[in-house]
Amino acid sequence: MTGQHYVHAIQINTEKCIGCSHCMQVCSTQAIRIVEGHARIMPERCVDCGECYSVCPVAAVYVKDDELELNLQKFIYKIALVPAVFFGQFPTQYSVSQISSAIRKLGFNAVFEVEHAVDFIKEQYVEIAEDAEIARPVISSFCPSVVRLIQVMFPSLTENILRLKAPHDLAAIYLRHINSNSNINPEEIGVFYFTPCASKIVAAKAPEGEDDSPTDVVVSMKLLYNKVYRIIKDIPLSDDLKRNSTMEPDSIKWALSGTEREYFKGRSLAIDGVENVIKFLEKLESGHITDIDFLELRVCDQGCAGGILCPGNRFLTVERIGERVKKLQNRLVENKEVVNPLMNHRELLEKGCKTEAIKPREGLLLDDNVEIALQKMKKIKALNSYLPGFDCGACGAPTCKNLAEDIVKGKANMSYCVFVQRVMEKNYKLSPEQAFQTIEKIWGKDRLNKYKDNHGEKES
Amino acid sequence: MHLQFEIEGGDFSAAGEASSEVKKTLKQLNIPPVLVRRIAVALYEAEVNVVAHAYRGVMEVDISGGGIYVKLKDKGPGIENIDRAMEEGFSTASDKVREMGFGAGMGLPNIKKNCDEMKLTSTPGVGTTLELTINF
Repeated sequence: MTGQHYVHAIQINTEKCIGCSHCMQVCSTQAIRIVEGHARIMPERCVDCGECYSVCPVAAVYVKDDELELNLQKFIYKIALVPAVFFGQFPTQYSVSQISSAIRKLGFNAVFEVEHAVDFIKEQYVEIAEDAEIARPVISSFCPSVVRLIQVMFPSLTENILRLKAPHDLAAIYLRHINSNSNINPEEIGVFYFTPCASKIVAAKAPEGEDDSPTDVVVSMKLLYNKVYRIIKDIPLSDDLKRNSTMEPDSIKWALSGTEREYFKGRSLAIDGVENVIKFLEKLESGHITDIDFLELRVCDQGCAGGILCPGNRFLTVERIGERVKKLQNRLVENKEVVNPLMNHRELLEKGCKTEAIKPREGLLLDDNVEIALQKMKKIKALNSYLPGFDCGACGAPTCKNLAEDIVKGKANMSYCVFVQRVMEKNYKLSPEQAFQTIEKIWGKDRLNKYKDNHGEKES
Repeated sequence: MHLQFEIEGGDFSAAGEASSEVKKTLKQLNIPPVLVRRIAVALYEAEVNVVAHAYRGVMEVDISGGGIYVKLKDKGPGIENIDRAMEEGFSTASDKVREMGFGAGMGLPNIKKNCDEMKLTSTPGVGTTLELTINF
């Protein structure tokens, strides 16, 4: 195994972490263990989906993004690249142009909506759907957690991942290009991408199948939301009703679930929610599903409206975005056609829109050598048969099987299991003191101090 | 590494569980993903054959450093004409089975395509044995 270094946005603050193991229980890729009283993430397994972030009761799981204020000072010309779901966070009394004005007030020279790039992607999909050489089903590369989930858990499906850059990347390439003719030094132009989730931070920092990203700064949407909310009441309502739509109305819904699939010719499915996605990919990888041309997959329920950095309610966001689409469609009927400035730079984007092939990761691999891996697997199977099998998590691993794996990897031992401990104590293989130390090794010092044994006396 | 699974004839809802388990095992070994996919497809087709045609069967899997050997032995009606069964598009599946999306007559040819070696033996009225080898 190459021991490759993987970049992650999801981090654990061990100062705050109380070792409650809620995160360990919900992790879909079994990437979390409890060590010395704190949650620890296995980088080779994490897909930055953020399930752990959502369940942490003490906000110890955090998302590592870039510093906004410092970076605002660093660049001369600052562009805010904002996804449509951001506008959907606000009550409908605030218009898109009002929200954009508020963003500019925070120190940005321009605000650009990510989904402009979707009009370009739609055109690409028409071509890609005609290309019989590409493996079916084509799997959308839109959700970075889906891409990573496939790399880690379904390596044989990596070749089905569409080799097309994400909308935020394409929009950033366009923004860099149109500002390159100005008299500002290109290095002083900053593209700030505001993200609804952790996985898009990783996608922007260390994109899969790309050498580097055209975005400069990636910041949580939550932070922008708070800053905009504070000042929006003072922004006058501008009359933007007469303006033409600058993108096809339904492009705004792209990040939600169900729109993207409509633009790929043939049989297609839209699946959202991490467990749904895993179940489907499992069937697909096993050869149970055939004759599907395209899969639109989103790790979050309701797509990006359910992103972990979206402060609003996902269903309200979906409804608001839907209303905005309708409004823009009505405006199109009254006015003229869509004028998308990005579409004047098709050639530029066509040149730079493709990614390299996505490679599998080694999250499930036991060893490079098949023989050794098989030996390990036999050991895991044998160890697992000694474990109780109800996945209590008291050993610091989410399932008995995970503990067996960890033991074979040399990261744990049999006495971590509280049931095995009892047997060992009964047979005088383990002293109560040793059992105590083992528990402390997993759950941290002082963890067993909560319960005071009064030797049968009633507490006074 | 030896794995064994019981397969129940007619239980379409569970069809594919055994082959999924084998695939999960293979993913932990350093085997090219393309090969894992090929094995998964071959085993799934083979498993569905037992579910669709036989009363019950046993799938035995042996994995070594060199490859995978699978033996599927079923109790069932058997195959009258093996050469015909191997033809693309030929199927004896009932209408009921076809309605469920199976029985397109691609099962056996598809298995053969994905394997390095395939041996099919059958005694009509008794059952069928399918042996597959895929080298790593």
